[in-house]
Amino acid sequence: MSTSPSRDEIFDKICELLKPYNPQNREILKESGIMSDLEVDSVAVFDLVMGLEDHYDISIPMEMVSDIKTVGELVNAVKELTSE
Amino acid sequence: MSSIFDKYSPLKSRVDMMMKIGRDALGVQFDDIINATRGRIGNREILLAGTNNYLGLTFDEDCVAAAKQAIDNHGTGTTGSRVANGSYAEHVDLEKALADHFGMPSCVVFTTGYQTNLSAISALAGDKDVIFMDADAHACIIDGTRLTGASTFRFRHNSPEDLDKRLSRHGDIQDGHALVVIEGMYSMFGDIAPVDEFVDVTHRHGGYLFIDEAHSYGIFGETGCGIAEEQGVLDQVDFISGTFSKSLASVGGFCASKHPEFEITRKVMRPYMFTASATPSNISAARAAVEKVKTGDHLRKNLKERAQQLHAGLSELGYDLCADPSPVIAARRPNEAVAALEWNWLLENGVYVNLAVPPGTPQSSSLLRISLSAAHTEQDVNKIVETFGAMKNAQGEMMNDMASKLAAE
Repeated sequence: MSTSPSRDEIFDKICELLKPYNPQNREILKESGIMSDLEVDSVAVFDLVMGLEDHYDISIPMEMVSDIKTVGELVNAVKELTSE
Repeated sequence: MSSIFDKYSPLKSRVDMMMKIGRDALGVQFDDIINATRGRIGNREILLAGTNNYLGLTFDEDCVAAAKQAIDNHGTGTTGSRVANGSYAEHVDLEKALADHFGMPSCVVFTTGYQTNLSAISALAGDKDVIFMDADAHACIIDGTRLTGASTFRFRHNSPEDLDKRLSRHGDIQDGHALVVIEGMYSMFGDIAPVDEFVDVTHRHGGYLFIDEAHSYGIFGETGCGIAEEQGVLDQVDFISGTFSKSLASVGGFCASKHPEFEITRKVMRPYMFTASATPSNISAARAAVEKVKTGDHLRKNLKERAQQLHAGLSELGYDLCADPSPVIAARRPNEAVAALEWNWLLENGVYVNLAVPPGTPQSSSLLRISLSAAHTEQDVNKIVETFGAMKNAQGEMMNDMASKLAAE
């Protein structure tokens, strides 16, 4: 059994995957709105999610993504799915 | 004081930038459409190279005559939905003609292409089903999934291997089924799905395959049925949707199925039940166009040749094209501002293409998108290539022009 990743590890991974969508290098905080503050467009958010699915070998449904607004909420969703 | 429109201020900034550079590329007004390949804005004749009029049938004599006859026979509008007000003979006849063309027992026609996928996907997937859709799926597919209670996952574009991985990762679907949704030819890049491989992966996992052939019906396959026919797997596809507003030169859409039970969805598809049905003239024009598609080898041959000609011409000029030759040819531009500037320049110089920008495009790309028509001649394509060539030579002047426009108050 692999150990479930920590919230910090998930946060770092999200920051890494966000890089191509953050050309202006804005500071990423857990409170940052993915679309509102970081200005990542809706399609790019779904691409980011596919990267997380592959990295952690989990399935994140699109309807769950639609409810996620901040980086912190995305961390929580991944944490929950990797703990199952 | 805040306003209900405040949420659109970032979008408004983008539109304002576009308007400083030139016209609103997403709201062009033509003063006249002369024929399948020519329009007019003011005094300027425009070569139309962004209409999705793939077979060039909008002015076809038989299609026009059928539409006129339908108005004479049955009037201008249907004034309601098929559920509430009944079907016209034209609706039923077109459904039968399309079902026969696909060799399938069931086909339902709709009022628009957008509504087609919204209706069919929302009816096919229930709460316990799971949808897997291509990452580059059109907005109407995404919106269709949102009308369902089904969990939805994206897989990497045109990758049956990635679909296989995600279906395996998801595991057994308790009391439900997998619905896999792809397109035949994708509208932005003009790239083509390996439908035969998707059939294999989908059915190996016990799922149903749904293909949107909106941009490929009429263009590919021996009788014009689309990519599934071209790749020899038409009889194995569960659902095929399409539109009347491209090769069929009208407005509307259809979904055909090899499952006769598909008919039951007429009683549950909300976007079908609660929308006015297509007008007799639209349906009759499409009906006439179906016959043109079946016997349209000469149209498909010219379209293919023009696509190869244009692809070679633009490649030679050094444009970065998004896919192999197909009736949709998209040139990748460095950013939205440059693409908007060039789009304006092309229109000023008599060529209409589409400006396509994120989030409507894959990979956050900004594109000059061309869709070719069987009605385009070799000379027309030469003119498109020459104009793109002249644009390349005018880059310095254009950039200076953009800088001064953006700097202006």
